[in-house]
Amino acid sequence: MRRKGRKIMTLKKISKADVLELLECCAKTWKTYVPLETEGKDILFSLLPTSGSELKEALGKVNLNDERVIISPKDIFFPQLDDMFYFDKDKIKENVEPPAKKLIFGVKPCDAKAINFVDEFFKRNFEDIYYLSRTKDRLIVVIGCITPPRPDACFCTSAKTGPFANDGYDLQLVDIGDEYLVEVGSSEGENFINSYSDFFKDAQEEKLVKAQVVKSQAAKNVKLKVDFQKALEIMKGNKDLEENYKRISERCIYCGGCVYVCPTCTCFNVFDEKKDGNGIRRKNWDACVFEGYTREASGHNPRDKKVQRTARRYEHKLKYDHSVTGSSGCTACGRCLTSCPVEIGMSKFIQEITEDKKGA
Amino acid sequence: MQKILTTCIYCGCGCGLYLTEDKGIITGAYPSIKHPVSKGALCVKGWNSYEFVNSLDRLTHPLIKENGKFRKATWDEAIKLIAEKFKAFSAESGADSLAFLSSAKTTNEENYLMMKLARAVFKTNNVDHCARLCHASTVAGLAATFGSGAMTNSINEFQEADCYLITGSDTTSQHPLIGSRIINSVLNRGAKLIIVDPRKIELSKYAAVNLQQKNGTDVAWVNGMMHVIIKEGLQDEAYIQARTEGFAELKELVGEYTPEYVEKITTIPKEKLIEAARLYAVTKKAMIVYSMGITQHTTGVDNVKSLANLAMLTGHVGFPSTGVNPLRGQNNVQGACDLGALANVFSGYQKVTDAAAREKFEKAWGVSGLPANIGLTVTEIITAAGGGKVKGLYIMGENPMISDPDQNHVRKCLEKTEFLVVQDIFLTDTAQYADVILPGASYAEKDGTFTNTERRCERVRKAIEPLGEAKADWRILCDVAVACGYNGMNFSHPSEVMEEIRSVTPIYGGMRYDRLEPHGLQWPCPTLDHPGTPYLHKDKFSKGKGTFMPRPFIEPRENTDEEFNFILSTGRIYWHWHTRTLTGRTSTLEREAPVPYVEIHSEDAAEMGIKNKEKVRVTSRRGQIELQALITDRVVRKSCFIPFHYREAAANVLTINAIDPIAKIPEYKVCAVKVEKL
Repeated sequence: MRRKGRKIMTLKKISKADVLELLECCAKTWKTYVPLETEGKDILFSLLPTSGSELKEALGKVNLNDERVIISPKDIFFPQLDDMFYFDKDKIKENVEPPAKKLIFGVKPCDAKAINFVDEFFKRNFEDIYYLSRTKDRLIVVIGCITPPRPDACFCTSAKTGPFANDGYDLQLVDIGDEYLVEVGSSEGENFINSYSDFFKDAQEEKLVKAQVVKSQAAKNVKLKVDFQKALEIMKGNKDLEENYKRISERCIYCGGCVYVCPTCTCFNVFDEKKDGNGIRRKNWDACVFEGYTREASGHNPRDKKVQRTARRYEHKLKYDHSVTGSSGCTACGRCLTSCPVEIGMSKFIQEITEDKKGA
Repeated sequence: MQKILTTCIYCGCGCGLYLTEDKGIITGAYPSIKHPVSKGALCVKGWNSYEFVNSLDRLTHPLIKENGKFRKATWDEAIKLIAEKFKAFSAESGADSLAFLSSAKTTNEENYLMMKLARAVFKTNNVDHCARLCHASTVAGLAATFGSGAMTNSINEFQEADCYLITGSDTTSQHPLIGSRIINSVLNRGAKLIIVDPRKIELSKYAAVNLQQKNGTDVAWVNGMMHVIIKEGLQDEAYIQARTEGFAELKELVGEYTPEYVEKITTIPKEKLIEAARLYAVTKKAMIVYSMGITQHTTGVDNVKSLANLAMLTGHVGFPSTGVNPLRGQNNVQGACDLGALANVFSGYQKVTDAAAREKFEKAWGVSGLPANIGLTVTEIITAAGGGKVKGLYIMGENPMISDPDQNHVRKCLEKTEFLVVQDIFLTDTAQYADVILPGASYAEKDGTFTNTERRCERVRKAIEPLGEAKADWRILCDVAVACGYNGMNFSHPSEVMEEIRSVTPIYGGMRYDRLEPHGLQWPCPTLDHPGTPYLHKDKFSKGKGTFMPRPFIEPRENTDEEFNFILSTGRIYWHWHTRTLTGRTSTLEREAPVPYVEIHSEDAAEMGIKNKEKVRVTSRRGQIELQALITDRVVRKSCFIPFHYREAAANVLTINAIDPIAKIPEYKVCAVKVEKL
């Protein structure tokens, strides 16, 4: 897992027609998560049933096209609500997930980047056992985007996070027509191919050329472009962005959606549920846009104004994350924009400060 | 981990969301992208609508009160006791000694069953619910003028309108996904906003015209706008001729409401009134949007009729992105009304006073002798229960201790109520007074439908089993009916209830479950091949010709005097929902607004020497509460605003139980109080 993205020179392909059968096989031994079409015609990462008619039915709903997936697969490791431990007067019982092999199949490159980003976060300053217990024995299969799932909001080429991944995957599939060319990114990925060798055939060299053509066309299909580097420089510099933050904070209706859908947001709140001497310590997704997020026990709040909290969010994503990790905290998936009721988004903010555009 | 599509439990927007389930726990709520309202977004309440479901405070088994204390009981015991008591009251004191409060938080099917339980099983029309406290004025006022008491247009039509007249609706707080559409229209397309509200709201900063009227003077300013429009010849003559009646009477009545006269009543500067009137009249796609600020008055019906008059005068009804749009508060308050949980109508607004309607329902339900008298309404039921006229009271999913006006009166009444049944998911302040408590199911634990503010009947889907021994509310109602010896309520799934609803309710005629996939249908939807109705009154009004119903201005019931010198208005805030039963158990929401407060104007505060967050006492003729002062310029001088969510300082200790004579809605928006520094 540690050498993700390492290119191994094994050229393999898998027929699209065989993918469902592969998933059917995998579901027996792996906890297999794939994008499934819901009864509401949306696409969400969901766990495949392990066998029987339920599995067959679920396989019929697998959707590996370039569709908008509401929430990135981060919720597989970091659910919106999580029971941390149960307690009574005498003891504490941790609720850490027992180890299980997980296959996350059909991850978009930007989301794969985000998963790696969040992995690092939950290891950096402290080891979050609830998160890390879920990431053990995990295999990530990326499928690159031929056309951007959010045509007006995806801007991955600007962040160099897509439409195909350069690293951070175990396997990456490149859509070359009736088949996917398979790129191997880790030894775990290679082991996987070997374990399911019936499905993965050797590919000829010319497929590699075709894949390159597909990738370069895919990059051209991403129309929205912003200048991350310039944004970073501006934010590090002296330019007063107060007006920009003010415009955004005035428009914002404080739903928290941009944070909740962000694949790299990691903030959570911790609270206890108690009854008759027993209790559960729970954590759930939190958002830095809320007033209570930074309110101190005394009642004092260092960021009691909306504009301060807005500024903090952008500074954190673009400047702080970069200073700590060397890359932006935004993977340019575009979800913040498409899930914002009032059409605010990271791409718009970057455009605004780098191109002196008006409007949030 | 399952992800189940359902409909949000909070406001009338009716957003489509997914509940995520893991090992029987609801672990999250995500917006649906394809749903026509949510479109990938939710407000903060929707995003956090999962947490309360798992609360350890949930009621998980029936309780019976013995010697003043609750003890665990079996379902058999509890249901049998209710059946015995209710049958005995009915036999001894008549059917109207029973009363039933249904719930705008429960499903359509459950509301239908509640009114069927009251009417078919117990032969009383004493069945009502909290719509009485929010949009009873709308139902009455719009039915009289247009023929249909519902929001005329659809949520997505907000994206195309060019002018909005918003009055008495804090839209971004209470209907955030409608408020956001308005913000986008103003900022992206330059749509114009007219805000008429005594208190500044989030949307005020976007308004082209801001009118801050004195509380309770709405008929006057609406009449004033119509005066200006007629004087300047901006009315739509062709529309008035072709589609309405009663214009001459209107013209005569509004004749005296000159801008000068209106300014005296409302304090709205005459120039601003004229500006607003012109803007609304000349914009083709202009929507009137209102909510509790219009309805919760002793003149609530008059207010609604006046807005209907204004819309007809300018030809703003019966087209996309126009209309009169009451925003319904609760997730299913529209449905609870549609399904007849009201004292005067069966489902589909078929009147109980109409012999043909009664005969139809008698036949469908296999009973005889359905009562013809109009039943008691919410506040009347509580008073009657306190006075002993109502002996058996069954409350499902309502919390009148916090939500009804004049809390001290409500408390006395509930204390005196001979036999009180409360069916809820939490032990609410109301449930404390119960003799029997029945644990219901949350929205995550049952199937059914909600009908949102735009009349969209959409599915609610079961994601987990009811907690502990709790049961789906529809099943409990069926069990009670069966225990009472009625065999017309042996349903095994809500879809069967909907089949019966379809057969007796013309506006729901086409709402078969399979047709509601994936995102519901808007009524009227009379037949199985009908596509539903995005906007009402196309080509002609539901009642034929629209009727102008001119109303004169009448003062609110309680005015300020030397002692009670502040006007109090109550309302809601973005972070909380109604009596805080759900949002108080949702960490993110509760954290944003943990304490009750009263908004006071900065100059009044300075005069009284009150500092921000300092505790003050607010007193009315009915009671007093102590709470934090929030110094602000949102309210005008000598007025204050208190969110009614908090049991710790319940605003309804102060409010007056004065009601509109037709709609019986209480005047939550105006009463006189005094404010004192402690």
